[in-house]
Amino acid sequence: MAELEPAISARGVCKDFGGFEVLRDIDLDVATGTTTCILGPSGSGKSTFLRCLNWLEEPSAGDILIQGKPIGRTGLGRDAKRMARNELAAARTSIAMVFQHFALWPHLTVLGNVAEAPVHVLGRPRHEVEAEGRAILARVGLAEKADAYPHTLSGGQKQRVAISRALAMKPKVILFDEPTSALDPEMVGEVLAVIRGLAQDGLTMVVVTHEMAFARKVADTIVFMDAGRVREVATPHDFFANPQSERTKRFIARS
Amino acid sequence: MTWPAIRTILDGALVTAALSAISILLSLPMGLLLALLRWRRIPVIEGLLAAFVTIVRATPFVTLVLFVYFVMPAIGLELDPVPAAILALTANTAAFSSEIWRAALQAFPRDQREAAIAFGMTDTKVFTRIVFPQIWRASLGPLVSEVTILLKCTPAVAVIGVVEITRAASRVGAETYEPLPPFLLATLIYTVLIAVLVRSQRVIERRLARRMGLTPL
Repeated sequence: MAELEPAISARGVCKDFGGFEVLRDIDLDVATGTTTCILGPSGSGKSTFLRCLNWLEEPSAGDILIQGKPIGRTGLGRDAKRMARNELAAARTSIAMVFQHFALWPHLTVLGNVAEAPVHVLGRPRHEVEAEGRAILARVGLAEKADAYPHTLSGGQKQRVAISRALAMKPKVILFDEPTSALDPEMVGEVLAVIRGLAQDGLTMVVVTHEMAFARKVADTIVFMDAGRVREVATPHDFFANPQSERTKRFIARS
Repeated sequence: MTWPAIRTILDGALVTAALSAISILLSLPMGLLLALLRWRRIPVIEGLLAAFVTIVRATPFVTLVLFVYFVMPAIGLELDPVPAAILALTANTAAFSSEIWRAALQAFPRDQREAAIAFGMTDTKVFTRIVFPQIWRASLGPLVSEVTILLKCTPAVAVIGVVEITRAASRVGAETYEPLPPFLLATLIYTVLIAVLVRSQRVIERRLARRMGLTPL
């Protein structure tokens, strides 16, 4: 694949909640077509960082760039103006997200959930979107559930619908916020298998996870966060075989 | 009862039904608008709306009707009895239903809204596509119960001369010295009107439940 601008860049991202620093000066580049797994203990700021990438949380400082274009602010640096709400909404369409607790819309069918944003945000024709949606659902093994409502599905099925919903946007990046943490152990596998398939297809993904084995197998890059900082960025092999910091070693040893 | 007497009561029924229908159609969206505006927490407006809701909720409905009809002209709003009655009914139900809407808005799952925002929906889209289709279903029961209260408030507009069911029935009773038949008829009509409301609620709930594959309660 041609060397492109990073799909996402974070530059000097900080976040504080009422004086408490959750993220401290985070830099990260996610190359197009790669899978980045963010690991780290609870409370290390992983999810907050992920939520800063699409401005669900507003960073207190720093810039986020999607393929070189700033999101959230109209330019770079602290003085750049905030984007208008509509502009920010439009910028978010290139970044899809999968949530820990699925966050499906219960009044819509499975296919309705998948087609909702492409039709009503991107303004694409419904028949076209639904045809694609059915193909995506077939791919994640849920073809026969297209007309079911979310409450009839298992957790693993719900999360696969949520992933389909993300794919239907044809996003440049998909963010996963602990996609298997709310699942029964038996259902973790089916969801990870889907994500792994996407990684093999060359989608650009950022995955916050506690699944070490998954990260080891699927990630191109592992980012280790602790206490609001990035402690280590490495390939899975280097990360597990040759961790650079004491903190990383302890984390790997305990898991 | 003679046919003209029955006609008088049926005319009253028409007035009650029309007043209620118009006030329902005006007050429920207004209540929602009130709730949405208060939810936004715009400094001065929030205080004004809170005051409006508090005062209307605290005022007995008859007093509210008299206020609209006799006091509003002092500030330049002179209304005929029927529009005044509609205004009073609408203000009353808007205030009460705004609390129902507000509860539904506050209880709305944050993660669903977040997902909508993350997928690029604007505030308007989030509301029209995700929030509203769910909160009206959740609020249907309390709203219908609020609306039946509105219907039962309508006799109060007789104080400004609007002849609705109860007023018509008491007139017929006074003229014939036989209050029982007109009031039986009046009661029957109220029962039918309320039954229509409650029945529609059941039908809507059952349809939704069937569509979503839930077992109806």
